[in-house]
Amino acid sequence: MQYRCVSCGNVWEGREWRSACPRCGEAVTGVPHPTPKPEDPEKLIQFLLSLQREKGWLPREVLQETSRRLGVPLARVYQVATFYKAFSLAPRGRNVIRVCMGTSCQVRGSQMILERISNLLGISPGETTPDLQFTLETVNCLGCCAIGPVMMVNEKYFGNLDVSQVAKILEAHR
Amino acid sequence: MARLRSLEELERLREEILKGRDPSRPFIAVNTRSACGLAAGSEEVAEGLREEMEKRGVEGKVELRRTGCNGFCQMEPVVTVYPSEVFYVNVKPEDVPELVEGMEKGKVVERLLFQDPLTGQRIERAPDLPFYRHQRKILLHLNGRIDPTRIEDYLAEGGYRALARALFQMSPEQVLEEVKKSGLRGRGGGGFPTGRKWETTRNAPGEPKYVIVNCDEGDPGAFMDRSLMEGNPHSVLEGLIIGAYAIGSHQGYIYVREEYPLAVQNVSIALEQAREHGLLGEDILGSGFDFDVEIHRGAGAFVSGESSALMTAIEGRVGEPRPKYIHTAVKGIHDKPSCLNNVETWANVPLIILNGAEWFRSLGTPGSPGTKIFSLVGKVNYTGLVEVPMGMTLRDIIFKVGGGIREGKRFKAVQTGGPSGGVIPEQHLDTPVDFDELTRLGSMMGSGGMIVMDEDTCMVDVARFYIHFLLEESCGKCIPCREGLRVLDRILTDLCAGKGREGDLRLLEEITEVMSKASLCALGTTAVNPVLSTMRYFRSEYEAHLRGECPARVCKALTAYHINPDRCQGCLLCLRNCPSGAIRGEREVVHVIEQERCTRCGICYATCPFGAVEKLSPPVVPEARYGVRVKKEGRK
Repeated sequence: MQYRCVSCGNVWEGREWRSACPRCGEAVTGVPHPTPKPEDPEKLIQFLLSLQREKGWLPREVLQETSRRLGVPLARVYQVATFYKAFSLAPRGRNVIRVCMGTSCQVRGSQMILERISNLLGISPGETTPDLQFTLETVNCLGCCAIGPVMMVNEKYFGNLDVSQVAKILEAHR
Repeated sequence: MARLRSLEELERLREEILKGRDPSRPFIAVNTRSACGLAAGSEEVAEGLREEMEKRGVEGKVELRRTGCNGFCQMEPVVTVYPSEVFYVNVKPEDVPELVEGMEKGKVVERLLFQDPLTGQRIERAPDLPFYRHQRKILLHLNGRIDPTRIEDYLAEGGYRALARALFQMSPEQVLEEVKKSGLRGRGGGGFPTGRKWETTRNAPGEPKYVIVNCDEGDPGAFMDRSLMEGNPHSVLEGLIIGAYAIGSHQGYIYVREEYPLAVQNVSIALEQAREHGLLGEDILGSGFDFDVEIHRGAGAFVSGESSALMTAIEGRVGEPRPKYIHTAVKGIHDKPSCLNNVETWANVPLIILNGAEWFRSLGTPGSPGTKIFSLVGKVNYTGLVEVPMGMTLRDIIFKVGGGIREGKRFKAVQTGGPSGGVIPEQHLDTPVDFDELTRLGSMMGSGGMIVMDEDTCMVDVARFYIHFLLEESCGKCIPCREGLRVLDRILTDLCAGKGREGDLRLLEEITEVMSKASLCALGTTAVNPVLSTMRYFRSEYEAHLRGECPARVCKALTAYHINPDRCQGCLLCLRNCPSGAIRGEREVVHVIEQERCTRCGICYATCPFGAVEKLSPPVVPEARYGVRVKKEGRK
């Protein structure tokens, strides 16, 4: 199976799950990166997910290429790409911030966290900074309800947040 | 690893693993295999432990084990020392040396033990904690003990024994019969009898047949499936293989939502290991039964958790539901018989096969046997995952397991069943929790989210939150759901903004009735529950909002902040923290909020050490004159 480092993006082939990336040595968990079989039209969603992960967004040419390779009409590729929240048809930042707005985080003040990030970066949820460093998004639930408010930067979780920590976390990803 | 070709080879491997392990040898479990542990910083603690143990040269004597979550998420990072089950909470990297030293000397580090907030007593062992004492863990009990990325750990605990029994000692009919006898009901929310669903798929015409694990846990406030998938994926997989054998399926799917990358990772590893060991693929354990599984990652759509929508998503199309005149159990993926069950349902199967239907029926209530995992969150003292027998009362779950309401506030309601469920008020707290009872109260079991709300929660705002959530998630295929939610959202938003109109409540009732009868799928028909249940139990709050008043003082437009001149000590704290500079004041002079500039963010209310900031609803503020000296009597 293929694994992908959550820190440097390195992709490696491995049999064992490893805790360190062979390139950057970062002790963060690898994420399985299954090689999609492009010839199967049923794998459209899985294929687009891999592309989204690799490129950060889905440019028009990529969708056209997908349509050709999978033998799926372009209209259907667009239908899928616009239906699901995981896909973006506009460029996204190098770092994707996802703030959980689930019920539990909400009662613990996620709105204030969101507003703080919004102020610091000068963008609203759903937008990307002009320097393509950050994209700010909200999600409905990350499933970490007991330690809310929670946010995710790329694939790293930050829990029990308070407003004063936000600036430091953002700075570390700049 | 060579594939296992028979029952004997499986048992031999298990013996070998067990022989290499000394049951008295201690091991330290740290939760780094689940998202909430990682978010709390458990990875740093685990790394620290590894380095410290290496430095002291004890790594041969004590094993460091990375496990899944043991439920008490609030106390993460948790470090548990087995076999004594000493339970350290909120461990920080700087505590590690003391911890390892204590372990070496066989001493308990008192300071890091859980402290009972009522008695102030330190509690040493996990089973003695009030949070765990009332639980009955049959599904979760391995979660904090085994490393989910190592199949050896699962085998050492008796894993895949149920599969072996099903394959070699039982016919598919017998397996089906056992599950039917157990009375297991679907844990995804509906509570449909699992055995009957299996039988329908088994008897439905058409080949191939499919079996599917639904791990598209989209309800805000619910995370049991995530925890099981991350912490013990093999148990789900074992249940799935047994189910496939009973149904006569050779292809399975595991649908995991994209927001759970760690669950995808751990279950991928589990699949790979099972294949290597001959527990998946062709000729499983030499029994002649073939079965394989594929993972399908969801791409972020709440409605895709609905069975027919999920199956269209697996076919690579947009995950929209379809009319279900014919059940998916008969015509699902590619119109072939497809049996979809929730993660927790599948995880129950090996237990039933191993211990028998009788044993399973001995737990829970006659109508809903077994246990149920709930995610207990919100304003309770102990938040986390709890597994209790069905039939426990809501009061026991919230007050005994959850330790009551935070900060001594008053209980107001508990929300169950996510966006499809409703709120249950205090007068029904003694209801035993099972599928039928909760439905009777106008809520539902749902997948098991339980959000506790105290007196500071506004019920209209809660309804608005869920309706807004559903509005964004509605696929838009059928009109009652698409347009109904839009209007509900507008009315509720207006109510919260103080712009309610005469007749709004009647309109709410009319729309909800149409939606519940005419929507295409369960998302629409149950979307009305949050509105109906809050109106049923808290109608007075709706009426208050019409008058421009929010009794819980949550809705910003209906609330104003005011500084009580009798209590204010002129300390400047609120003034410094106010982000909009709306507070005027100087030392020893009563502060005054300038209402025009106030954004009602609530920071002054949270920071005032004297409780001088008050929330008022309706937002009529008493005349405040600037320049009054503070009263000193109140000060100690």
